[in-house]
Amino acid sequence: MMATGERDGQTPPSEGGAGASPGDKRISLAEAAALVQEGDTLALGGLTLYRRPVAFVRALLRRPDPPRHLTLLALTAGFESDLLVGAGLVERVRTCYFGLEVFGLAPMFTQAAGEGRLTIVEETEASIAFGLRATLAGVSFMPGLGWLGTEMLSVRPDVKVVQDPYGEGEYVAFPAIACDVAVLHALRADREGNAVLGGNLGIDQELAMAARRVIVTAEEVVERLDEPLDLAGLVVDGVVPAPRGAWPTSCYPFYPLDGEALLRYVEACPVHFADYLDAWLRGDDE
Amino acid sequence: METTKFADDFTVDELISVCIARQIANGELIVQGLATPLVMAGYILAKLTHAPDVLFASAIGQSLCRGWAPPSLSHAEAMWLDKALITFGFTRVATELLPRFRPKEFFRPAQVDPYGNTNNVFIGQDYHRPRLRLPGSGGIADVTTYGDQAYLYVPRHSRIVFVERLDFRSGLGHHPARKRGRGPRYLVSDLGQFDFEGPEGRMRLVTLHPGVTLRRVQRKTGFPLEVAPDLHETPPPTAEEVHLLREVVDPLGIRRLELLSGQARRQMLREILARESGGA
Repeated sequence: MMATGERDGQTPPSEGGAGASPGDKRISLAEAAALVQEGDTLALGGLTLYRRPVAFVRALLRRPDPPRHLTLLALTAGFESDLLVGAGLVERVRTCYFGLEVFGLAPMFTQAAGEGRLTIVEETEASIAFGLRATLAGVSFMPGLGWLGTEMLSVRPDVKVVQDPYGEGEYVAFPAIACDVAVLHALRADREGNAVLGGNLGIDQELAMAARRVIVTAEEVVERLDEPLDLAGLVVDGVVPAPRGAWPTSCYPFYPLDGEALLRYVEACPVHFADYLDAWLRGDDE
Repeated sequence: METTKFADDFTVDELISVCIARQIANGELIVQGLATPLVMAGYILAKLTHAPDVLFASAIGQSLCRGWAPPSLSHAEAMWLDKALITFGFTRVATELLPRFRPKEFFRPAQVDPYGNTNNVFIGQDYHRPRLRLPGSGGIADVTTYGDQAYLYVPRHSRIVFVERLDFRSGLGHHPARKRGRGPRYLVSDLGQFDFEGPEGRMRLVTLHPGVTLRRVQRKTGFPLEVAPDLHETPPPTAEEVHLLREVVDPLGIRRLELLSGQARRQMLREILARESGGA
């Protein structure tokens, strides 16, 4: 029933520590961050300014040797992704929106893209959604409406148009999207990785099913969840307690978006990004 | 028949939201994208006036809602989660809900050409070295190719937005390459309202907002404007519409952020955030 061999029967990411008993997937943030390797496709759950795995991103940036040449995958990318781009970890971006909504453009993404330092795999809502569905179905593409007549295909020469085998029309064959590590921030999780994400799901459930490895950071990690789940522990490799782990993005209903923190970021960047990042990694802005 | 009482004073954000509200029919499913508070204000206003039975859907929450709450910066999810009748997740929204129902949605283009084709990807001549990289097309490159309910709004009408030739076509308008659906039906800016009933779906000025001249609209548009034969003034908001917008729909004035940029916008963001957190 497992999609990949990585999940079943292999050594869990952590040994010893709190998670010594079978099925206990609890690990530390640092252990979770160590799972990301150079060149990986790293998917971040949540949506623009909502329920993003920010504590994980901080742990990743605190690694003495942060992994480089990452492909960043997110339905929409915001503050957390902009930090990764600014710090030089990201080589390729796959998202349909990279920005801070009414708080403005994402300064480091905008700068890096303008200087031609990023490879952008131009995506839309449908190309990401169908691409994940293709991966889950074990096929190389999913046909869908969208893109035909726009110039999207000119910047995505890898994407092909197919004839409807049953009719007259043409569809875009949205290619399957692979993912090495997906990181999602949950409201609650238990030590087996079962999790509650709240209603604003984004593409988190599909990312968790499609990724080779899945890390759940959670506001609270309990022994055993006894409520309807958004995510089955079956697909989860590591669970990390991370209270306020989405800050300054929101984690509804626990805490709101910290708009002041976002304003401080957009006012500091891109010019003072290095100073901002140093302070942020020290935790000065909390 | 009762005489409509028009508002004595109103602002352009209010007029745009009122114009958006007037495009909504009762009973419709209407969709809100990311960071579009002028649209949200218009939708809620429609619900409180002539369209009580609309169903809201939003990028945030991916839910359907019958109820509503005033827009919020800090608690943007609150309405969409607290009032949700059902939530779908984004994968189902993009692959099922939008293609199946093809709902009405208002898009804000960074560039729009005379035929309602739009660009939200980059400004400049070279995709790989853009003069300005934009956030991206979201779902606009998807739904505008097959839907027939695309509506556009431009909070700040200028030659930067209204261009003869797009730098990149990420939203499909009235274009010969179209296979399905139809191009945008409507556009509202801070200067007037437009349809696309000109030759081959060309944009056409239909109304001028109060105090705006045709000459001014043409000067701020980067291509020759078609003008409807019965060009007239945009009916101003009623006193009731202005009252609802200010006091009930959007008391924090979040919709106004879309008309501001840079320091002015950040200043207003700070004021709204302070009011939301119970401060000054």
